Amino acid sequence: MLSDPITALATPPGRSALAVVRLSGRGAFEIAARVVPTYTPEPPRTAHLANFVDGDGMLIDRGLYTVFPGPASYSGEDLVEFSCHGGFVVPVRLVSALLAAGARAALPGEFTRRAVLHGRMDLLQAEAVGDLIDATATAQARAALHQLDGGLSRRLTDLRSALLDVEALLGYDIDFPEEDDGPVAPARIAERMTDLQDRVARLLATAPAGERLRAGALVVLAGPPNVGKSSLFNALLGSERAIVTATSGTTRDAIEAATEFLGWPIRLVDTAGLRESEDEAEQLGVGFSRRFVEAAEVVVACEAAGGEAGKRGSYAELESRRGGIVRVIMKADLSPSRLPRVPASGLHTSAFTGEGLDELKASIVRLAFGEQATLADLEPGLTRERHRIALTRAQTALREAMPQLSGRGDAVLAAHHLRDAARALEGLVGVVDVDEVLDRVFRSFCVGK
Amino acid sequence: MLYDVLVIGGGHAGAEAAALASRAGARTLLLTQNLETIGQMSCNPAIGGIAKGTVVREVDALGGVMGRATDMSRIQFRMLNRSKGPAVWSPRAQCDRALYRRAVRQLLEAQPNLRFAQGTAASFVIRGGRVAGVVTKEGLTFEARTVVLTTGTFLRGAIHLGLDPQVPAGRAGESPAIEISQAIAAQGITRERFKTGTPPRIDGRTVDFSRLTRQDGDAGPYWFSQFERTEHPEQLPCFLTWAGAEVKEIIQRHLQESALYGGAISGRGPRYCPSVEDKVVRFPEAARHQVFLEPEGLGTAELYVNGLSTSLPANVQLAFLRAVPGLASVEMTRPGYAIEYDYFPPTQLYPTLESRALPGLFFAGQVNGTTGYEEAAGQGAIAGLNAALQVQEREPVVLSRDEAMTAVLVDDLVHRGVDEPYRLFTSRAEFRILLRQDNALRRLYPVARRLGLLDEAEIRTAEERLEGQETALREAAETAISPGTANPILAAAGESPIGEPTRLKELCRRPGVTLASLLSATGSTVNPEHAEWADIEIKYEGYLVRERDAATRLAELDEVPLPATLEYHSIQTISWEAREKLSAVQPTSIGQAGRVPGVSPADLQNLAFAVLRQRV
Repeated sequence: MLSDPITALATPPGRSALAVVRLSGRGAFEIAARVVPTYTPEPPRTAHLANFVDGDGMLIDRGLYTVFPGPASYSGEDLVEFSCHGGFVVPVRLVSALLAAGARAALPGEFTRRAVLHGRMDLLQAEAVGDLIDATATAQARAALHQLDGGLSRRLTDLRSALLDVEALLGYDIDFPEEDDGPVAPARIAERMTDLQDRVARLLATAPAGERLRAGALVVLAGPPNVGKSSLFNALLGSERAIVTATSGTTRDAIEAATEFLGWPIRLVDTAGLRESEDEAEQLGVGFSRRFVEAAEVVVACEAAGGEAGKRGSYAELESRRGGIVRVIMKADLSPSRLPRVPASGLHTSAFTGEGLDELKASIVRLAFGEQATLADLEPGLTRERHRIALTRAQTALREAMPQLSGRGDAVLAAHHLRDAARALEGLVGVVDVDEVLDRVFRSFCVGK
Repeated sequence: MLYDVLVIGGGHAGAEAAALASRAGARTLLLTQNLETIGQMSCNPAIGGIAKGTVVREVDALGGVMGRATDMSRIQFRMLNRSKGPAVWSPRAQCDRALYRRAVRQLLEAQPNLRFAQGTAASFVIRGGRVAGVVTKEGLTFEARTVVLTTGTFLRGAIHLGLDPQVPAGRAGESPAIEISQAIAAQGITRERFKTGTPPRIDGRTVDFSRLTRQDGDAGPYWFSQFERTEHPEQLPCFLTWAGAEVKEIIQRHLQESALYGGAISGRGPRYCPSVEDKVVRFPEAARHQVFLEPEGLGTAELYVNGLSTSLPANVQLAFLRAVPGLASVEMTRPGYAIEYDYFPPTQLYPTLESRALPGLFFAGQVNGTTGYEEAAGQGAIAGLNAALQVQEREPVVLSRDEAMTAVLVDDLVHRGVDEPYRLFTSRAEFRILLRQDNALRRLYPVARRLGLLDEAEIRTAEERLEGQETALREAAETAISPGTANPILAAAGESPIGEPTRLKELCRRPGVTLASLLSATGSTVNPEHAEWADIEIKYEGYLVRERDAATRLAELDEVPLPATLEYHSIQTISWEAREKLSAVQPTSIGQAGRVPGVSPADLQNLAFAVLRQRV
């Protein structure tokens, strides 16, 4: 008895060296093979080292995967466990790749439920498996979150109502072909459908802000090797979290820490230098850096004072991305008086003296939380990743429904996709029950002979 | 004589219960107040319609009578929803009432295991906590190992017409059944009241047809029966008119004289089948309401005024009828009326439609709070079949929601319950692309065959048909058509031409292009009727796969049982509402619990934990 494939992060998000992602259910092995090019199921229950790639073949991470054929697995089903680097980015990209490869995001506790249903877990054990731990939000962030959540419920009520409207129109169209009002004008359905799609899109547009508040803004230190990023990383954290040496290219992996600047949640990442390298392992690190830089809300572009050509790095590629950039002139303490070309917006920072650190933190917060930092009127928005996933699914389903609403389309198929959208949104807006749809039909139309 | 199955009632539920129980090999008795009214259509003279037409074909596939009786008595046929996807094409026929009754009686009498008796059931024989027979008002006792109750609106039925005192009746001019309702209630079975209504009927000789819009049926062939090709009677048109401002004004003025609005009726009525009073009150802005004049039959000029169901006094009914275009000098032959009756909330039943409180007693039809001939027939089939299987100590038949529209109906009744008279809609089905009228035989033939419900000729016909359909599907996949042959067909459908030979399957995915036309152009000998099924399967291919996948997931949850002894109120981790609802419904699996309204996914998960804890 195998259920549909689900995937989720099995370890708490953030702040860890390693993360475990699980994939369970019917077809789990086929899905794993799409993400692991060198996938092999044999031998089972043995860790294999492999590259994990996304749908475009881009490397996500190099890590371990282990195949557990059901029923002798955690969930009792065919299951694959991936160990990858921890933190906020790599595990999320891996889960996204598995979703794209055909898995569904697991509901909270769904693995455990399956384990219990398949008799794989004793109940006390199951109950000890807690919900995922929310990232800690600080006082300011909590206030902003509260505001987002508060308005959100009203927006979701409106979304639900818009969904019911379209369901009712299509339900009427199909189940009541001979009524006083005649068939529904296609334009009327299209208009309600567009309204529904707009609502979904508007909510989705708020997702990044909400996610930043809950999980922390991704702030990436980037720049050429040996410019002192790791020293700055430690200075910003106020503790020795990263290994710091004077050898070029020491920091191969991205190192990540959850912290707060002036009360705002930050995920600070120290990356390997942005430079092509012939060292294979280091190349892998550089690949990571680029990926982090693309995902970052704020990039701290570190530049060596004195501007040696090799250490200025490639700012061109930073400028093309959307997030904010803070330019920093490093090691100000080593060259206090000789600063030939200071960029207009550049800050002078020294990891040893602490010079410029508070100013840097303030700049980062302004860039990362601009609108929320003032706690002005916030657009109510999404604050949870699972909401974003649900809305994205709904958006896809609604898009698929559209061609079926046109002249040559099939109303039944439009309704089919609309139901998919409603199911995707269940977690947000509650179950859309057929009786509720019929209620709306009977309220809006005079049906029956 | 000890019967295996005794069916009380000869309406649409009773007829199918008797037909299927006897086909399953049970010695069956049909007991009815009046043998003349077996197969009576109490309300509108039509069978089929949206979702209902599919049920008729399902009942037919199991060996029931409704499809054949409709074919033998239909005087007009239309395929509703033709302009929409084939998943919701819905066959409907106007029938001659007298021919329909005669056909049902004839089809039932063809069953050697079936006997008939006239009498009014008054109480049960109960032995060892099980029903063991029925005693009639006339004093006769019929011993039976199981009883199927299909008494429609007869249980403490009361007719309302204006503010006159209510008249106890099961239908106009027929006595209600009082005692048997008390006998059921005495078993601790909860009973409630519903109401429904019916419109007046008029003398067609007093109608000015020149002012009406004529509505003819479809010309193409169609048989509800998937086994027989009977001759249809002569076909008749219906006529369309409307009730406008003048009618609305008359009704407004007399509203307080309506049984519904004067406060005489307390039971809930169906919102999708409103009285004209309801329409006027709830939709005051509507300019007009359609009125369909439907022939009562071939041998009579009487017409059924569909759309003007009412409980206003007879003189008011006549007055507003005469305000309808074309009816200025109409004579009313029978007034409309509202009827209130007992039903037993169906959440008190197992999915076999057997009572939880009184083993051996099965319920089907309007007594379960449904409306509609087809809904009654579907339940009758399931109840009659399960009664027979129980006696024969065979596995019960519980169809799943992806197998039959009838199963959606039964599952909804038993697990969701009803708070207004229940009618099927396609939107009640999760898998409506699977549950079509064109594949009913394919879905249910294996069940009918396994249970031995079909005779040899029927089995032969069914297998020929199913094989023919598969041949059509195979030819569609294997045969290529040349541009010269295909392009005229594509042009006619408004589709772009092809440049090289193409497989039929690829072309018939295009909207408006039928497999039948392509096959006949390539000189295939496949029966066009068989091609239709293949055509629909190809057009919906990807969706069918998705629905089957989803159905499999649902089935998995249905396999996790819930113990009958579960104390829902002691499960603190599920919502109060869910506890209440689950206690009332007593689902037998996690899957069923999930379909009880008010039970959230979180409740379901915690319920699963709680069940496992009890097992530990």
